[in-house]
Amino acid sequence: MRRAAKEIVRVEGLVKDFRVGLGVRRKRVLEGISFCVREGEIFGFVGPNGAGKTTTLKVLMGLIRPSDGTARILGHDVRETEFRRHVGFLPENPYFYEFLTGREILGFYARLSGLAGRRIPERVEMLLDWVGLSHAADARLRTYSKGMLQRIGIAQALVHDPSVVFLDEPMSGLDPIGRKEIRDLILRLHGEGKTVFMNTHILSDVELVCDRVAIIVRGAIRYEGCIAEFLDAGELATDLVFGRLPASLAVSLEERFGPLRGQGGRLELRVPDKAVHEVLGLALSADAQVVSVTPHRASLESIFLSAVEGSAEAVAGKAS
Amino acid sequence: MASARIVTLAANTMREAIRSRVLYTLLFFAVVLIGTSVLLATLTYVEGHRILQSVGFAAIRLFGAAIAIFVGIGLIHREVERRTIYTILSKPISRAEFLLGKYLGLVATIWLQVAIMGLAFAAVSLLTGAPLNVQIGIALGLAAVELALVVAFATVFSSFTTPLLAALFTTGIYAIGHLSRDLRDFGANSESESIRLAAQILYRILPDLESFNFTTQALHALPIPSNEAVLALVYGIGYSALLLLLGVVVFERRDFK
Repeated sequence: MRRAAKEIVRVEGLVKDFRVGLGVRRKRVLEGISFCVREGEIFGFVGPNGAGKTTTLKVLMGLIRPSDGTARILGHDVRETEFRRHVGFLPENPYFYEFLTGREILGFYARLSGLAGRRIPERVEMLLDWVGLSHAADARLRTYSKGMLQRIGIAQALVHDPSVVFLDEPMSGLDPIGRKEIRDLILRLHGEGKTVFMNTHILSDVELVCDRVAIIVRGAIRYEGCIAEFLDAGELATDLVFGRLPASLAVSLEERFGPLRGQGGRLELRVPDKAVHEVLGLALSADAQVVSVTPHRASLESIFLSAVEGSAEAVAGKAS
Repeated sequence: MASARIVTLAANTMREAIRSRVLYTLLFFAVVLIGTSVLLATLTYVEGHRILQSVGFAAIRLFGAAIAIFVGIGLIHREVERRTIYTILSKPISRAEFLLGKYLGLVATIWLQVAIMGLAFAAVSLLTGAPLNVQIGIALGLAAVELALVVAFATVFSSFTTPLLAALFTTGIYAIGHLSRDLRDFGANSESESIRLAAQILYRILPDLESFNFTTQALHALPIPSNEAVLALVYGIGYSALLLLLGVVVFERRDFK
């Protein structure tokens, strides 16, 4: 099990209001959110579009000023700048100076990050190789594909060897091969002991790479914890498949747990986890044939959807 | 170090400008105009050299201002619009350093353009036998300081508004800046105390771009008093610094949504 120790990111009661129209009205985008990211973990910040993920990340990157609350990275207030030499950032759909080549842009970011001049060429070549762009190092960025821009984006985020990396929707818009490449890069960063904060709404990626997640819906955190705990928190069920089932038992089971589904002469029933022993006992004593017992874990997606729907219901409840 | 980061940003701004076609188009027309001043000079029998140099000097000042305004107005806005600012400000760079780096990069670019136009002016003068003197050099130097002030206005406007509005504001300031002495004189001749005071206050607030204009002295080989030249230099640097400070205050409060 991956162990995490000290807090790398700490957000407390973060509020962000944006001015709307002529600036008289205000719209609250973040409703006092709190969460933390620990050292060495891959943290997934998950939520539907418009939930406040990018706003939160922009506050952390100093691009948006918070209206209230605090946000700290490596113990520093996010409004400070010097600590950013330990922080890397890949924005969503990154844009770079198109008139520069891949090699030039990495050199530019390396100098901005305060890397010593003599170390820059070596570091740039290493990163170009690392993200598989050595062959395009001298091509202008305007000739790069989306996947190549994403990879040069990751390279610029790592050019100064930061200890914590923030990625905003790193897999969005990429084809399956591109997504796998970025996923592998993230796991490689994790292997090097870096802390990774990842904004995303692609849940399969979260399940594959993240240690912990926070779910944000309509500017409020609905859940924060380990992926495993998160999945366990969902209602657990078990699928029982019978080859032979006496009619009387079938009727009583249907009354209690809902309809049996028939498939190829077999009958399938989903029962709550806590009722599995009882149903199996009944089946065996009635001389039923049990073909399979499959524990059914709630998927991240179903829990995510219930969190979103729960939020929508809460909003509707408030409105009525 | 902050200075190294500012230099990196300035060098990159210069590189961007040098690789853009707009700049070359403007520069090309300026050099062509300086060249065609030879033709204009042939249209007269008297003071041909003076007409040649007047046109050349006006071309340098006007095209310099055009480059300062057209490149300066998009300086910050383009970074925000194209979202290139996101990755830059995520590095250990303050917003003040960013603004200063962009400003200095553009000023250096414009000074380079002025130097190129100045060389074209000198070449045309030498080819036609028109006199060259040290006053021309001083006047061109102070015109470059004026352009640095125009860039400061463009940078500040660009930090909080769109390129179109920034262009209108900066062009307006450029025009007013060359008329502010007339405003002061108009106020001074007024019989109303309140108009005199208002004109005086406006003159103090608005830039006096005529204080950088030593064209007459340059073209007639008249002496330029050193105190006037130094005063113009200090005025230009001080005014630009104040504007940039204002720009930083505005820029610090901005959200990049």
